[in-house]
Amino acid sequence: MLELEKLYLPDKNVYAHQCPECGRLHYPSVGRCKKCGYRYYPEQDVAPRWEKKGYKFWKRVPLGGSCRLLTYTRIWALPVGFDQAYLDFGVVEFANGVKAIGRLAVDKPQIGMKLDARIGKTKEYLGQEHYGLFFYAK
Amino acid sequence: MRKVGVVGIGHTVFGNLRDYELIDILAYASLDAMRDAGIDGGIDQVIVGNMASGMFNHQIGIETALVSNLNLEPAMAEAVGNGPASGGSAFKVGYMAIASGLVDVVLVVGGEQMRAVTGWEATDIVASLEHPKVEYPYGLTLPAFSGMFARAYMEKYGLTERQLFILAVKNHNNAAKNPFAHIQLPVTLEAISDTPDSIIINPYIAEPMRMYHLCPVSDGAAAAILCAMDIADRFKKKPVRVAGVGSATDTYCPHNRADLLDLKAVRLAAERAYKMAGIGPKDISFAELHDPFAILELCEAEAVGLFEKGKAMKAMERGETQVDGRLPINASGGLKAKGHPVGATGMSQIHELVKQLRGEAEEGRQVKNPKYGLAVNFGGFGSNVAATILAKE
Amino acid sequence: MGYTYDLEMKIRPACREMPPYPPKYITLATGEKMVAREVRKEELPLILEVIEPLIKVPEDYYDIVAVRFYAEVLSMIRHRIVDEYLFVGAIDSEVATIVNGRMVNDDLGMSLHTITVKRGLRCGALMFASKMEYHMEYLNQKEIYLVAESPIGFRRFMVEWQLEPRFEERHELGGVPTYVMTRKCYFDAKPRLLAGVRPVPEDLLAKNYNLTLPKEYPQLPRWHR
Repeated sequence: MLELEKLYLPDKNVYAHQCPECGRLHYPSVGRCKKCGYRYYPEQDVAPRWEKKGYKFWKRVPLGGSCRLLTYTRIWALPVGFDQAYLDFGVVEFANGVKAIGRLAVDKPQIGMKLDARIGKTKEYLGQEHYGLFFYAK
Repeated sequence: MRKVGVVGIGHTVFGNLRDYELIDILAYASLDAMRDAGIDGGIDQVIVGNMASGMFNHQIGIETALVSNLNLEPAMAEAVGNGPASGGSAFKVGYMAIASGLVDVVLVVGGEQMRAVTGWEATDIVASLEHPKVEYPYGLTLPAFSGMFARAYMEKYGLTERQLFILAVKNHNNAAKNPFAHIQLPVTLEAISDTPDSIIINPYIAEPMRMYHLCPVSDGAAAAILCAMDIADRFKKKPVRVAGVGSATDTYCPHNRADLLDLKAVRLAAERAYKMAGIGPKDISFAELHDPFAILELCEAEAVGLFEKGKAMKAMERGETQVDGRLPINASGGLKAKGHPVGATGMSQIHELVKQLRGEAEEGRQVKNPKYGLAVNFGGFGSNVAATILAKE
Repeated sequence: MGYTYDLEMKIRPACREMPPYPPKYITLATGEKMVAREVRKEELPLILEVIEPLIKVPEDYYDIVAVRFYAEVLSMIRHRIVDEYLFVGAIDSEVATIVNGRMVNDDLGMSLHTITVKRGLRCGALMFASKMEYHMEYLNQKEIYLVAESPIGFRRFMVEWQLEPRFEERHELGGVPTYVMTRKCYFDAKPRLLAGVRPVPEDLLAKNYNLTLPKEYPQLPRWHR
């Protein structure tokens, strides 16, 4: 990405963070690895000032693709910034073991069904856009 | 560690207190507690449990404002925040201050004024408990987590919405006798569940949770005076002993838990409290559980060991948790009908435990011969839980 | 006094025969049954008595709604307003909620006010839905103009029914921003917000035939009749 693109365009990806010591994936990011305790050093192009110190960097793994639905709901009373009458949400588990919450775009959800996770725009509030996970039927 | 007891309690009416200032609400409960204890001053430390006064009331430093308001200078003062478990955590910190020997008399007050802002803003402020990147921008609210939790529980154990309404009816009936409760209307099961109009007067908020499964937005405060047991004869009434306190945390994002239905923090907090008190779940006479969503009354009762997993609903249907049952739960009306000013809830539960253990509860609400009372204050969505056990002595 | 029959007929508006509103009943959360029906002409002075104590309550804008509502009911009694209807929600013959509105022409309705004495059971929202039902399904109109004088009214009416803002049109009530209920808005939200069972059993109707004044007003804690 160009410098100014990085500054002004939103990142249309959702990432899990992988520990360089043991490979465990974390979503959201953490201060220390939950398995081996290795400290969090973000990827090189995100934190250039650490590149000369010899630390191992955590990789960002984009989330998406096949997942399994664990539970779901439809909520009617939404917070500030949302004009819809209702929104559907689900908790899924990806094949790599990462669990995530996202918007559900399925007519008749059932616990255990296979879904496809893609990125979509979740909200735009005061000019700021936010992108997140949307789950579609496979 | 020194033994600690509760010698005075105070409580405001829970409800719409929009016309009052937050400090006035806290002061009202504190002065009631001081009058109950028979003291006019002599308090070494004031601890305020509050979740978000900066956002609801645009005022921070409320502990200092309260000390000035009550003429208690130069007492030490701190505020303790733990989301909806602020009250329980404030009580624990007060206990720690006396047990460590640092101070002798502590005033702990929990309070919140949520109605200073509109309903959407209140939902938004409570939603700031969630992760700012991974949960909040999607438009998730706290009821959404309860909806997902309830859906998973219903799939696993075959629970129905109508069964959860039984809990709502019990709580409303109890609150109708509680002069401090927000909602004092007793509701009937048929009206909220069976008639053709029930879907309109009781709509879905976060499927499968409906309006009468969720607590209202309330203002209020509750206070308690704690003291070291060896100086308790200074006060008007016999102290109620603090037998055990415990708290524990679980993952910040509920979706990261290994088993979505396992309320680990509740279980561990209760275990720590039981260990300190030297008792087990079988010794608990009555409990005040944190039920802003009806499903939580059920699951917390199972997590603290009062019922076996999956079996609590059958016991509740049999009436075991009614005031005259084997194990009264939420004799005050619970958060469902008594109200849930987030910071005040923990202290309101303590207030109820003390009142019941002293035998001072209103007629129709008094538990028979209580010995040990358990209060569970649930923070976030099970991320940070505080449990307290009080004993009659 | 110098009034003649001719003069009175010149001042009085020519009202149309509006279709009747069939009564219905709604079971509230406490188990009580609220009967929603149209008031009879002879009951209007009682409605004035119901509204009067609320004129001095500034909380939640009860005072402005009550005083405007009082004027509208008085105009009905004294024949100085055209094509207005008034429905009452009564619980055990005690007046709980009153709503009114006007028929402007065959296609346009003007919703006036909703005021509720009984609080905590959503009676106001349920009677508001009944008002909309009358305009859309009995008067068969295309649109209704609405305004909200209080924030609670705005939330319960504009937001829950997802009404269309149309600020360039003027509503009769003082120029507050106008929102419009179209047939689409109504039928989309109807399954979620309109309650009521018809027909009303004979004994329930008979019990609510003679209305009585509310014994207490939650809005006025120290008031008594």
